[in-house]
Amino acid sequence: MAVSFKPIKPLLQTGTNSASRWFSYVGLGIGVLLLLCSIQMFINIQRLLKEGSIRKDGFDYISLTKSVTNETMGTPDRNQFSDKDLAELRAQPFIDGVSPLLPNDFRVTLGAGSVLAFNTDMFLETLDDEFIDTLPPTFKWQEGQTNIPLILSSDFFEIYNVFAPGQGLPQISRETAMGIPVQITCEGNGVSEVFIGKIVAFSDRVNSVLVPKNFLIWSNRKFGKGEDVKASRIFVKTKDANSTELLRFADSRKYSLNKDKTLLGRNKMVIQGIFSGLGIFGLLVVLLALMLFSFYLQLVIARSRDSLQLLLTLGYSPGWLSRKVSALFIPVYATVVIAAVLVTQLMQWSFHHLVMYNRPELSSVLHWSVLCVAFLLILLSVFTNNRLVRSLLYKLHNN
Amino acid sequence: MRLAISKLLPTYFERSRTETSEIWGKDLVWQKGEMIKIVAPSGSGKSSLVNFLYGMRKDYEGSILYDQHQVDTTDAESMAVLRKDHLSIVFQDLRLFPNQTVQDNLELKRQLNPYHPKEKIAEMAERLGIGKKLSSLAKTCSYGEQQRVAIIRALMQPFDFLLLDEPFSHLDNRNAELAMQLMLEEAGARQASIIFADLERIEFFPFTSLYHL
Repeated sequence: MAVSFKPIKPLLQTGTNSASRWFSYVGLGIGVLLLLCSIQMFINIQRLLKEGSIRKDGFDYISLTKSVTNETMGTPDRNQFSDKDLAELRAQPFIDGVSPLLPNDFRVTLGAGSVLAFNTDMFLETLDDEFIDTLPPTFKWQEGQTNIPLILSSDFFEIYNVFAPGQGLPQISRETAMGIPVQITCEGNGVSEVFIGKIVAFSDRVNSVLVPKNFLIWSNRKFGKGEDVKASRIFVKTKDANSTELLRFADSRKYSLNKDKTLLGRNKMVIQGIFSGLGIFGLLVVLLALMLFSFYLQLVIARSRDSLQLLLTLGYSPGWLSRKVSALFIPVYATVVIAAVLVTQLMQWSFHHLVMYNRPELSSVLHWSVLCVAFLLILLSVFTNNRLVRSLLYKLHNN
Repeated sequence: MRLAISKLLPTYFERSRTETSEIWGKDLVWQKGEMIKIVAPSGSGKSSLVNFLYGMRKDYEGSILYDQHQVDTTDAESMAVLRKDHLSIVFQDLRLFPNQTVQDNLELKRQLNPYHPKEKIAEMAERLGIGKKLSSLAKTCSYGEQQRVAIIRALMQPFDFLLLDEPFSHLDNRNAELAMQLMLEEAGARQASIIFADLERIEFFPFTSLYHL
């Protein structure tokens, strides 16, 4: 027959100092709420600004061009980056990487085939994969393949949708654009070849039409003039696009920087920083509440000391007794954390419906990681209590 | 089960005590079933001895062994098992839960390792004259009544050794004899030993060995 805890429960003086107990419950609730809300908001921001993410792994990626002046007009060599320029840039301590935006060296025309009566000259460029913000796994090409994956600038796409009605062309959504194959004709050296291009991603960072690097190298060799292709635009990877050293260096070389796009990344960083701070604060409040509760538990055990000691003397196992005593508080913890989860859910719902007007990037339901954190918090509080009660009871046993 | 004590002496006693005592500093072995009477005047360490044997205090030299278990090095969980299954005790200071009823006090011990059915509580209480006190709070009972509750509590579990520390200090002869009779019957049913420490000899305890502390 299992030993019952029912006759033992009245021996514990849990009613003492109920103010401290209630303070710790409320504190725990507030702390958990802060923590869960911060995590959810962090995820919301991540989702909302995913498209605009320019900053990756703590780096800014910005484009550099040489300023075209009256003196340099008509001399492409002076407006392009030489190997020496690139080496000089790479040597700068505030620059963590450089990738030239290599252009095509042959004529390229774009047509929509039979779908739309649309034909235009265009250009292709390529950039090291590391510098591309939205890089799907399908952005690959092999020799012999007639399909070319394209990454199109979001700005170009927007401009198209702006002028399309005036030109009698349909406005199209991103999803549709990604589904339409386009004809890309490469001409040069007396040969011409038609490829099927398909947009696989849109880039907020690179204002260009990007193709895989090996395709451009291959096509420049096949259709190009055979000259060494120089880039007019390069991308640099830097820890801080606002670094004064970088700005001073760019000015001294008459390079112009495109920094606009780093602003969104910076704002996102600041907002996420605020929520990280709030999350840490929430965690601290949780820890404080757990500490307060541990004082309450110590008080309960101190006040019930005689009874607990007598139970141990009579032969009750200290392990069993500590499990039972700490289990008394599990329903309270679970209730507090579940209440905080429900309030967080309500806040997320309100945020999505009332503040964000049902934006599709967001969800009205809490992210699974928030639920995981809530579950971990219950485990944490049960574990810390169990340990505390256990050590106090073993201490009682040895006295 | 067998109980062996070897060169036992409280750390706060002088070594010269071992010369006059039949227990302190001696090597003794008691088998289950023996009836041990220990006569000890006040201050000779009677309660200390019982506490040492029950594993409640460790301020002694020498060793106490229940079979292979050395009491002072046994961990808390194993000690709890020993107390639940093999050792029972009647404390001199009774040690009841004052705010629980007599019935609850007895049930708290009984449920730990039930040797008797619940009904036996009322039967034993009746036999020792406290049948009407079962629903009273322990703190409202007289010392004599509390002492009988402590005695019945010790009989609620299985045991190989029953330790008694002045168990009749608040009882008249008639009640003491009734209580002793009950304890002898219960020990007999378990083929257990009683180690009975008291100030003086008591006629109605049929000891097999007598020691002066």
